[in-house]
Amino acid sequence: MTRRQRADRRTGLLFLAPALVMLGCVTVYPAVWVFWLSLQYRIPIFGIARFAGLDHYAFLAMDPRFLNAARVTLVFTGASVALELALGLLAALLLRRQSAGRQAALSLLLLPWALPSVVTAKLFEWLYHPSAGLVNYLLAGRSLNWLGDPHLALVSVILADVWRTMPFVALLCYARLLSIAPELYEAAQVDGAGALATFGRITLPLLRPVLLIALLFRTLDALRAFDIMFVLTGGGPANTTENVTVYAYRSLFQTLQLGLGAAIGVVVFAIVMLVAWGYLTVLRREGVAR
Amino acid sequence: MAAARTRITSQPGHHAVILIRIVLVLGCLLAAAGCSDRSTGSAAVTLVFKHAKILGPSDPVPRLLREFEARNPGVRVRSESLPWSSDEQHQFYVVNLEGGNAGVDVLMLDVIWVPEFAQAGWLLDLTPFLAPGELTPHFPAAIEPATRNGRVWALPWFMNVGLLYYRKDLLDKYGLRPPETYAELVRQVGRIKSGERDPALDGFLWQGKQYEGMVVNVLEGLWANGTRVLGESGTVFPEPDRAEEVLAFLRALIESGVSPPWVTAADEELTRRGFQDGRAIFLRNWPYAMDLFGQPGSAVRGKVGIASLPRHARGDRGVGSTGGAHLGVYRGTRHPEAAAALVRFLAGDAAERVMTAGAALTPSRMALYHDPELLRDHPSFPAISALAMVARPRPVAPYYLMLSTVLQPEFSAVLVGIKTPGQAVAQARYQLDHLLKAIR
Repeated sequence: MTRRQRADRRTGLLFLAPALVMLGCVTVYPAVWVFWLSLQYRIPIFGIARFAGLDHYAFLAMDPRFLNAARVTLVFTGASVALELALGLLAALLLRRQSAGRQAALSLLLLPWALPSVVTAKLFEWLYHPSAGLVNYLLAGRSLNWLGDPHLALVSVILADVWRTMPFVALLCYARLLSIAPELYEAAQVDGAGALATFGRITLPLLRPVLLIALLFRTLDALRAFDIMFVLTGGGPANTTENVTVYAYRSLFQTLQLGLGAAIGVVVFAIVMLVAWGYLTVLRREGVAR
Repeated sequence: MAAARTRITSQPGHHAVILIRIVLVLGCLLAAAGCSDRSTGSAAVTLVFKHAKILGPSDPVPRLLREFEARNPGVRVRSESLPWSSDEQHQFYVVNLEGGNAGVDVLMLDVIWVPEFAQAGWLLDLTPFLAPGELTPHFPAAIEPATRNGRVWALPWFMNVGLLYYRKDLLDKYGLRPPETYAELVRQVGRIKSGERDPALDGFLWQGKQYEGMVVNVLEGLWANGTRVLGESGTVFPEPDRAEEVLAFLRALIESGVSPPWVTAADEELTRRGFQDGRAIFLRNWPYAMDLFGQPGSAVRGKVGIASLPRHARGDRGVGSTGGAHLGVYRGTRHPEAAAALVRFLAGDAAERVMTAGAALTPSRMALYHDPELLRDHPSFPAISALAMVARPRPVAPYYLMLSTVLQPEFSAVLVGIKTPGQAVAQARYQLDHLLKAIR
């Protein structure tokens, strides 16, 4: 390294410093603090602050409520992300083929994505109302107890979330579709490929990187989902829609068990990091992210 | 616009002028704010009173507060309302009081929070402000949760007791007396329903939604079966088999059709309305419902009786749970004397009388239940008072709310049929043991 390079490097670090200090303050410091909190019994109401070691983690490993919350999180993430990808892709394909009113369709598609999720949840609360809701009305006046039945509540939450976030996937896919060169399709046509073969061999492979990125974003979001279930069902009935973030929130803010709540938060953080790392490995291999 | 900008940038002197103007404007604003602050601060002591919405035909609170202000010159009271549900009110208090940014002097408290808030150091010790014997006119079951370690942390305001409402007309028609046991209640429902042949008539309504009110229903069941949730030495579910019997019985009520399936999502008001529309034979609820049943336009006016809750096979007698509201003072208040005076005024005989006459509430002072003037509008008061004398408080412990939040989803899971009573009791035990281990 020449002296000039070293000087450049030093200047570079100097310019980077504010960003690094900022990140350190707003992410690293709280993360370390939460981890430290999770190693304690800490309940301010009772003036309790003593070291707990890994007690909270040992408890969570056997805690039926946590295991249930983990199951809810997995089901919610798997089902909502799968549905969002499938429906989003479908919407993008339809939009691409549509010739008239594309602007209007795009705006309509954006609307659910633009709504705050608390508003979405309130909206769906009314749609699902057992006697006055539109959903039951459309089902020929059946009186399904969407949010009160332990077997239907999670389905209701998943559907509401799919409605809200499907446009995100659709837009990503649509943008990629627009940039596929028409020559490719013409060539396929010349070679006599049918619609299915064209989709399977040209469209899908070209969409793959975008789909993977959408998958990454949506999975991470769904794993941390909070507001939709908190407002729509509050985790009930019988905790059938309580995911790990709602459990963490309840421990932290309803009963002020800061240590236990922090431990749940750390577990969520670990899971999200693990999933993100897994996806990024795949993406890197695909050559999408570098 | 563009011209103005170039002029400003080209003439540095303008910066100084603008800066001076800004400073002047800000200074004026600050001065004005400071002045208005000082004027309210010196002219009057302002107390903030947080309370829940008062149900009933009229809300006498504003009138009482004006009267207090008239008696205490220089003191003003601003009343602010709390969120609707009890769980949200609790969360509001916990977050704000723990954060030290309370913005409140006098608090309306659910009776179950008093030990917790006192333990947390959020309540002012009211003992020095009280006259000797000032608490004795209140029900013993209302005083117990308000006192801790010999100090008084809140004054009782309203008193609630769980009781059984029954349709006098229907029971009379079949020659039945109010049931003493739950088995008898189930038999009576079967008899009346088969006689009436009315598909819209439900048997027994109670509160089964996942919330604090449902825990009260289950606790009453536990007491009626001779057991409880916390044993003498702090063991959780000291007799698990008896607890499981109670939960199994509640689930069976729904499965056998004695109670409609919607009780699993029902709170006090939902069940009260069902009964008031004449669609049920029995109802477990608080005393406030009686006033509403007697109103003109009620389908059950003059047809409702009050009885003690029944007992289970292994219990001595049915016991209602107490509930109600207390008044406390925030420890960080700047005006402890005025705030304590307001609490004593509101919990006093005159104010409770006004509250009872105006709102659908039952007072915490025993004498008011035998007051001839109030008896005219509330003929059921002596019966309610007799039940309140033998009622039991929920576990008086600072950690009660934590206990309840653990129990709610477990009990709810049994009621909707996705866990067996055995599973729910075992899983609640596991969580409560961890919780109590941290606290003790």
